[in-house]
Order: sequence, then structure tokens, then C-alpha cells
Amino acid sequence: MNIDQIKKEFPIFDEKIQNNDLVYLDSANSSQKPKIVVDRINEFYTKQFSNVGRSVHYLAVAATNLYENTRSSVQKYINAKDKNEIVFTKGATEALNLVANTLGQSYLQEGDEVLITELEHHSNYVPWHFLRKSKNIKINFAEINEEGEITLEEIEKKITPKTKLISITHLSNVTGAILPVKEITQLAHSKGIIVVVDGCQGAPHLKLDMQDLGCDFYAISCHKMYGPTGLGVLYGKKKWLEELPPYQGGGGMINEVKKDRISYGELPNKYEAGTMATAQVIAFDQSIKFLESIGIENVMKHEADLVEYGQELLQKNNSVKLIGNPKNKGGVLSFTIEGVHPHDIATILDEDGVAIRAGHHCCQILHDKLNIPASARASVGIYNTKEDLDQLNESINNCKKIFNL
Amino acid sequence: MNLKELYQEIILEHGKNPRNLRKTEGFNKDAKGNNPLCGDNVHVYLKLNGQKIVEDASFEGSGCAISMASASIMTDLIKGKNEHEAKEIVEDFLGMIKENPELKSKYLNEDEKTKLMCLSGVKQYPMRVKCATLSWHTMVSAFDEKTEEVKTEN
Ligand SMILES: Cc1ncc(COP(=O)(O)O)c(C=O)c1O
Repeated sequence: MNIDQIKKEFPIFDEKIQNNDLVYLDSANSSQKPKIVVDRINEFYTKQFSNVGRSVHYLAVAATNLYENTRSSVQKYINAKDKNEIVFTKGATEALNLVANTLGQSYLQEGDEVLITELEHHSNYVPWHFLRKSKNIKINFAEINEEGEITLEEIEKKITPKTKLISITHLSNVTGAILPVKEITQLAHSKGIIVVVDGCQGAPHLKLDMQDLGCDFYAISCHKMYGPTGLGVLYGKKKWLEELPPYQGGGGMINEVKKDRISYGELPNKYEAGTMATAQVIAFDQSIKFLESIGIENVMKHEADLVEYGQELLQKNNSVKLIGNPKNKGGVLSFTIEGVHPHDIATILDEDGVAIRAGHHCCQILHDKLNIPASARASVGIYNTKEDLDQLNESINNCKKIFNL
Repeated sequence: MNLKELYQEIILEHGKNPRNLRKTEGFNKDAKGNNPLCGDNVHVYLKLNGQKIVEDASFEGSGCAISMASASIMTDLIKGKNEHEAKEIVEDFLGMIKENPELKSKYLNEDEKTKLMCLSGVKQYPMRVKCATLSWHTMVSAFDEKTEEVKTEN
């Protein structure tokens, strides 16, 4: 695999960012886009545009087919059993809200418990908090260990007879810990507990096999997966998606509408009310093709090498403290520097063209637990190289110099 | 862009050893502020005497060098000013941070102006302006006895 070649497929790396070559280490936030994805959006709007599923004219039929093609590609890519288990949403956030909302309407009852973890992104906590307010459910938190991991044992410990649902991240966007989702799912299912997975960080970096993983729902963020913004995917087991009520009402999701009664459409339309992010869905097919052309095994190998390299570099750098040290770790390096606030780190690194993120990364629960207000985070994607991490380290040294460390 | 302008010695020094980072005993005005995007927070305390003059000002909180230095310098120079003077200084400071090339307030002496001008480097860093302004907005809120937390939107 030739990373230089792959990098060339991303037009942004031809740009000078404030006179610097871009060292993009913010892919956990959002990935850059390969040219084929950008071009596909342009091509669709300039040559093929029509709304989908509404009209019988040529363009509408063609657009509908393209839209449905992506659904099939996603199904194959994540090895879902059925095409109708793939629902498009505006992002992973909406996917998780959809799950919480519909389960709240028809499944979860007052007093039921939902188990999440201290690693969760706000979008896998706040939707459940809504149910805590409206339905009086209880939320329990599985706690991280010293390494910033969530173990199967910890999950087991936190399950009570009232636990109805477990909602967990596949890969932490702060500590990088990869959770044993398959084992957790097996355990949960043996106790009749539903499993929801926030797959935002898992989907771009790990091999996805829904039938093997076994979870009931899996939320994907397309913009972190070399795809367009404004798009997410919810995978849901067919039996759930058929059983649960609709989320939003409007055009496209209905079967029959009368003054005194309404019946809803079949899957997948049932969950895709209104005009969807058509161009993004169609372009996302190219993101999947891009990932398939490299091969997920190669992606995983490359990123594992990068993380190991970066981790070693930063461990050797005095006054840099890495957050978490999970055995099974994805491409995220979160750190603090004693005496320099993460925002100052990010501003100083930016001057060298090194783009990282500083803040709580939408994980305030975790930062409270770690007793730090914020952290700096470098995260990798397929286009990163060891040189990028060398530059990161060098810019960190410059930052220390400015702060007289 | 000029990092040196942003991270001047005086800012680093105040950032590292902030003045008045404590809770004023017997304070009679206070307010909290936070920056939801970064998770930074500040709590400003004021003690006004019978003549409505700031006898002591202090703050608690955590944040970047810019926000700590800004709160440090602010709490230092606001002592001895009355509410009207303090508010004029806030206006002057906010104007300078956003667009004005210099400070105009007659309630600031040259030394105070020089110190505050050290923060003018953030102008070039739009995402960091709120770091410099949070404690100032929070101080106004304390004067106005607002109970709601200040949230910075720049
Ligand atoms: C772990 C995790 N969950 C959820 C989200 C939200 O995803 P989206 O931007 O697609 O709504 C993110 C992205 O910030 C994330 O990192």
C-alpha cells in the first residue's frame, strides 16, 4: 500500500494552509474527502440531479436507483443481513436520537435501566437523558479502568435485573479504547438486553460485520468515513425497525393518509421522512468504494502502526502525558502537557499547519472522571504518515519552548 | 498570524502565576461564566465598599493561558474603580479586542493600558477571542447581579 499515492487522492493536501503543508490530525472529528467523493457530488448536481422516490420521470428514476445503490453498498460493507436494515439519517447523532426516541415511545418503561459508559460522546448520553426526563428511566455508567478501557467484566458488574439496554461506543474518541462489543452483545443478549453501538469511530477504522458483531443497532457517521457531511447511517435489526414506531412524520414515510387515519410506509422509507441528503448518499457510495479499494485490513494495519509510532514518540517526550493506554487501541492520541492548556497547544501547533483538536471532545463525563477540564487530541486517518507524527512531536517541542518548559 | 504577539512574556507569566486566583472573603457580588465549547469556566468575586468602590476582586477557574492572564490582569486593575469606571474599562477592552487599535478610557493609566494591550494579539485568532473576554463579561454580570451563567458567543 502506497500512502503517498493514497494521499494524492485527497485534493486538500495540495493546498497550502497558512503557507504550511497540512498535517491533518483531526480525523476523529471529521475526515478529509477523496476527490472521487467531491467529484461525485458535483457530477450528480450538474448532470443527474432529481429528487428521489417521488416522480416517474427519467432523472427521478435514475436518482432513486443511485440512492438505493448506496444502501446496497452499505449493507454489503457492514455485512447486514437485509438491505432494509440500512436507514439514512443526517448523522450519527440523529441515528442515536432515532433509536432512543422510538425505543422510548414503545419499549422502555418507567424504572427501566439503560447502561452506558463513561467514555460516551454526548450524542450517546443526551438522547438517553431525554428519556430519563420524560419516562423516568435510569441511566447507569460503566466505569473506565486505569488504562481508559471498558471491560466486559465492568459491564457485567453494572448489569442489574432492570437493565433493558446497553449503549456503548465501539471505539473511544478520547482514549482510543476499542470495546469488546461482540462479547458484550453476547452477554447482553443472554439476559434479554438490547445493544446499541455508537460506531462513529469504529466504522472508519475497523472491520464491520453486523452479523458477527450481533448488536441490535449501530450508528455510523459518514463524514468521519471519508464521506460527505450531513449524512449518517443507522443499522438496525429488521425485527426492531419493523416493530418500532416511526421517528419523524412527513412525506415519503407514509402509506396512506386520510383525515381520520394514517398508515406508515414500509422499511426503509418508514424512517426516511422528507427529502433526504440525496447527493451525499449518492456520493457516499464512492467513500465505500475508496475504502474497499484499499481494503480495511490494510487500513487497520497502517493506522495501528501509526498509533504505535505516535504513542512511543509522545511517551518519550517529557511533560507530555497520554490519556489512556488501552491494549486494544484505535488511531487516537489524546494528551496533556503539564503547564500548557490544550487550547494553547492547539493554537501553537496550528501555526505549523498541524491540525489537532482541543477541548473535551464532547466527552465531559470522561474529562470530569480524569479530573481535567480539557485535553489535546491528535487522531489519524488513512492519509497520515509517520512524518506527520514527527511534525506533531516537533511542534509540541516548540510549544514547550514558548512556555519555557 | 504572529504567535509571539499572542504569547508574550507577560501573558505567559500571568497565565502561570495568575494574580487574585482565590475567593475574596466577604465578597458582595459574584457571577459565573463558562465557555461551553472548551469547557473553560470562571467565577468572579467582587467586594465593593460603602462608596461602591471595588475593594477587592478575585476569580476562581481554569482555562488557557489567555483566559487566565486576562482574568488576572482584569482583577488587578479593577481594584479601586467604581462600577461606572469598571464598566467603561470593560467596554474599552472589548472594543480593543475586537477592532479598535488602542485603548481610550481615561480610567486607565499608561501601565494598565500596556498590560491590556498585550492581549490584543488574540484579534488574529477569532476562536480565541472568547478566551480573553469571558472573565470580563462575567465581571459585568457580577456588577449587574445576574444569576444566570455567562456563556461566551464571542
Ligand atoms: C464517538 C462519537 N459519537 C457521535 C458523534 C457524532 O456524530 P455526527 O457528527 O455524525 O452526528 C461523534 C462525532 O463527533 C463521535 O466521535
